[in-house]
Amino acid sequence: MDWDTEYELVKSGRYVPEPGPSRSAAPQPIPDDDADADVFNDVPMAPATTTMVFDDEEPFGTPLEQLTRHWMNERHAPDILPAQEDLLTNLLDHLRRQSEAVQLLRGDPSTSEEEHIRIMLVQTEVERVKFIVRSYVRTRLFKIERYARFITTNAEIQTRLTAAERDHASRHAKITDQHFYLSVLQSLPEKQSHLDDTPLFVPPMITEPDISRPVFVHALTKCPRITLPEFVLLFSLHLQDSHSLTARCF
Amino acid sequence: MALPLTLRSSVTPPELELVASQQLIEIVPLISMEKTAFISGAYGPLRPPNKAKIPLWIAVNLKLKKKCHIIAPSWLNVEFLQERLTLETSRPDFSSLPFRFAEAAKVILDVASDDLENPEKIRSLLKDLREARQAKSREGLKTLDHSELSLPNLCSMEINEIRPYFLQSMSILTQLVRNPISDPTHRNA
Repeated sequence: MDWDTEYELVKSGRYVPEPGPSRSAAPQPIPDDDADADVFNDVPMAPATTTMVFDDEEPFGTPLEQLTRHWMNERHAPDILPAQEDLLTNLLDHLRRQSEAVQLLRGDPSTSEEEHIRIMLVQTEVERVKFIVRSYVRTRLFKIERYARFITTNAEIQTRLTAAERDHASRHAKITDQHFYLSVLQSLPEKQSHLDDTPLFVPPMITEPDISRPVFVHALTKCPRITLPEFVLLFSLHLQDSHSLTARCF
Repeated sequence: MALPLTLRSSVTPPELELVASQQLIEIVPLISMEKTAFISGAYGPLRPPNKAKIPLWIAVNLKLKKKCHIIAPSWLNVEFLQERLTLETSRPDFSSLPFRFAEAAKVILDVASDDLENPEKIRSLLKDLREARQAKSREGLKTLDHSELSLPNLCSMEINEIRPYFLQSMSILTQLVRNPISDPTHRNA
């Protein structure tokens, strides 16, 4: 599978997210400047020198960068990629903590002008992250609804979904089946009233992900020549050394 | 539907801009700010007139409020771009540029053109670069076949631009190669 390979590439540089919730004690409502700093700092974070993280051996170190990568992958992959439940949970926890901190500080009349800018920036970021989370979830939702019938019959694809997603897929498949049956199929002759006929020379009735569709692949680290199944468009870029960029296709 | 039709074939340029705005950039702050923990990491403290490195989106935000000057990245100046343009027009392959240069350059030119030297010239150089590179990717269409395509140094915005068309073409070529005579109408013809 083309995207499997892409996923393996991505996975090789993977960073294990910190178990966020255990540290997520509710921020203390103490209204002086020091406490404000604590409220914003009370979360596991990348060090200030994040420059290293951006272009070093961990090409997407922070949870947000990981999610951004998964979002982009999901948007471009023809199939449904493995769910990132832990990553998403951690980020949602983090989002909630940041929003709570913002709420606390906003409600406090003694916050200074300078604090307002910080609050505004933190809030802006919360919105940016929410956008990415939403777009990621919606992309998966789109694919799940589209391939709902296929998902209910395929055990392999189910392993890539979360419990909630599997549940949604089977309910969606059931509801559409019922709708088709009640609106059209019940009045057709018995022979044509099924949704999974496989007549010759006609494409199958169950929508399946088109895994032969080519995808662009961008290698995040230097890697040896990889042999992929045919029909893959490989765009290999050696980020480690920007002066010896090479690309190769198979 | 969960995903609007316009978003299905590829991501949109504003979305790429959002991703690119996470990159760090140097600024000269005009206000001071304590070190602040964001979801993407901790940035600051800002102490004018010391330079600081913060994500582009924060820089844009502060710049719009006239609270900082953005320092152009090392590749966003007339000399560098002129040199790349010369390379681009004299050699058949794509010259190497930062992966998200188009998005970052647009954002910076939009909000902070007064922090750049000769923004008009930079704009026209970027446009020339884009056109030269676009011509090359169109050239690349000629060599397109069902199984492979080599695109070294292509940048995110350019990949995004050619993605729907190239992938669709390759898909069709793949089908043609795989089942040259499976279509019954062709067999009869």
